[in-house]
Amino acid sequence: MSGEFFERRAVISGVGQSAIGRQIDRSGLQLTLDAVLAAIDDAGLSIDDIDGLAIFPGGGNANVPGYSAANLYEVQDALGITTSWRQGQVEGASLPFYGPALAVAAGQARHVVVFRTVKEGSAARTAGGRPAYGSTKPTAEGPLAWLLPLGALSPVCHVAPYATRYLHEYGLRREQLAFIPVVQRAHARLNPDAIYREPLSVDDYLAARMISTPLCLFDCDVPVDGSTALVISSAETIPDLRAPVRIEAMAGVIDGRPSWEQWQDMSRVGYATAAAMWARTDLRPADVDVAQLYDGFSIEVVWWLEALGFCQPGGAPAFIEGGTRISLGGELPLNTWGGQLSGGRLHAAFGHTAEAVRQLRGEAGARQVDGAEVVVVSNVGGYEAGAALLTRR
Amino acid sequence: MDATVGIPPAVTEETEPFWNAAREGRLLVQRCLACGAESFPPRAMCRVCRGRETTGAFVTSSGRIYSFTVNHQRWLPGLEVPFAIVLVEFAQHPGVRVAGRLRGCRLEAIAIGMPVEVGFEPGPGGFAIPSFVAMDGVNR
Repeated sequence: MSGEFFERRAVISGVGQSAIGRQIDRSGLQLTLDAVLAAIDDAGLSIDDIDGLAIFPGGGNANVPGYSAANLYEVQDALGITTSWRQGQVEGASLPFYGPALAVAAGQARHVVVFRTVKEGSAARTAGGRPAYGSTKPTAEGPLAWLLPLGALSPVCHVAPYATRYLHEYGLRREQLAFIPVVQRAHARLNPDAIYREPLSVDDYLAARMISTPLCLFDCDVPVDGSTALVISSAETIPDLRAPVRIEAMAGVIDGRPSWEQWQDMSRVGYATAAAMWARTDLRPADVDVAQLYDGFSIEVVWWLEALGFCQPGGAPAFIEGGTRISLGGELPLNTWGGQLSGGRLHAAFGHTAEAVRQLRGEAGARQVDGAEVVVVSNVGGYEAGAALLTRR
Repeated sequence: MDATVGIPPAVTEETEPFWNAAREGRLLVQRCLACGAESFPPRAMCRVCRGRETTGAFVTSSGRIYSFTVNHQRWLPGLEVPFAIVLVEFAQHPGVRVAGRLRGCRLEAIAIGMPVEVGFEPGPGGFAIPSFVAMDGVNR
């Protein structure tokens, strides 16, 4: 396969995270700096090596309180660095490291820090419950104008019809879907930084309250406070780096109508992105050792398992039933940090990418997958979708 | 059930005709003046032929539920729950799918493929929101 793909000229060199919890009584800037400094140190670099900064989300894209708890210019000012490249990302960045990889591959920067800071846990406490999506603005703008006024006031209400449709098309039963949160909880119990570490059973899942049918409480990720930072470096700098991992392939394609309710076939999501990713590598699904699949909601994992080719369309229910295949020790260990369902909603695949890097380095502690060499990471799902293969150097 | 608690839509040049028609209880979608293709929501350009000249067309026929959810969570103080959100398509209006609430049947009876009539009800900010009505013959 050609070495001309730009992502081969970039590596992920560092990951860092702040304290992560339901409520952390520190400012977004403090949490961000904790994560950024940890990531730079983890890469084996110093602050003055950083010449690019990126933040998710950019453009004031904050529809819910606590969604965006950092500011790129404040971080640059605090670090006291000079940057030759900056980016404020929208969901369209597909993956947190997509834009930074482009920047280092194009020579616009050598080491880019990209960060994502949330205070959605504190926002929920302040609001006395999970706040309404869109409640940071007086009116519903853009595609949300057709959803929020109906009372579809959370992404769960936007994603739930996809799950309803999938259940209708393929006969997925809730007793099967349960294994995604149940297995991820078992993994979270091995992660000292996870939010929820108590055992979770299928019976617990079936007894949980509905949020938006057919999705119950445990199908939804958990809002948290915390920050994750990644360092993306030019492959030319590998000799300077402590433990970089390679970006084998990545893609982010939107091939349908980009709004939640207008997506044409709600039982098939992410296929165009997955196909574009596989077209950039000789690796195949059977080569993947660990899957870090975006799980804002459990049904998104179902989409990705099928779109990425780990099972046939409609094959996910049998694939996840019983949980053996997706557990540590199984053929495709899933979201080994607990995912956003139990590890916390760090969002935009920042938590998933951090875990992928740890697995590839052999730094995942009690939840380490022996000999992990290839990890797949996916982001979002629905109309917006990103997927990447990361490999051990 | 009251549906007025919530966040009203931002109204734009493209969407103002829809919200005005909604207040009159009529469902307005986009129709291309060049090729006649219909679409929703209005995007100021035809998704089929990319023509920029569009007009409105009223949907009066019944539709069928493509998918749905029943929301149980009270996202805002005073929001009455549970209620159904349905996505409705129309055999006589290909290219059109409209999200709305649903009235006229038990929440447990809602199913994909169920026929519904066009309707509206008072929503947030004085706007009328789509609120489909289950048709006779549905097990209410």
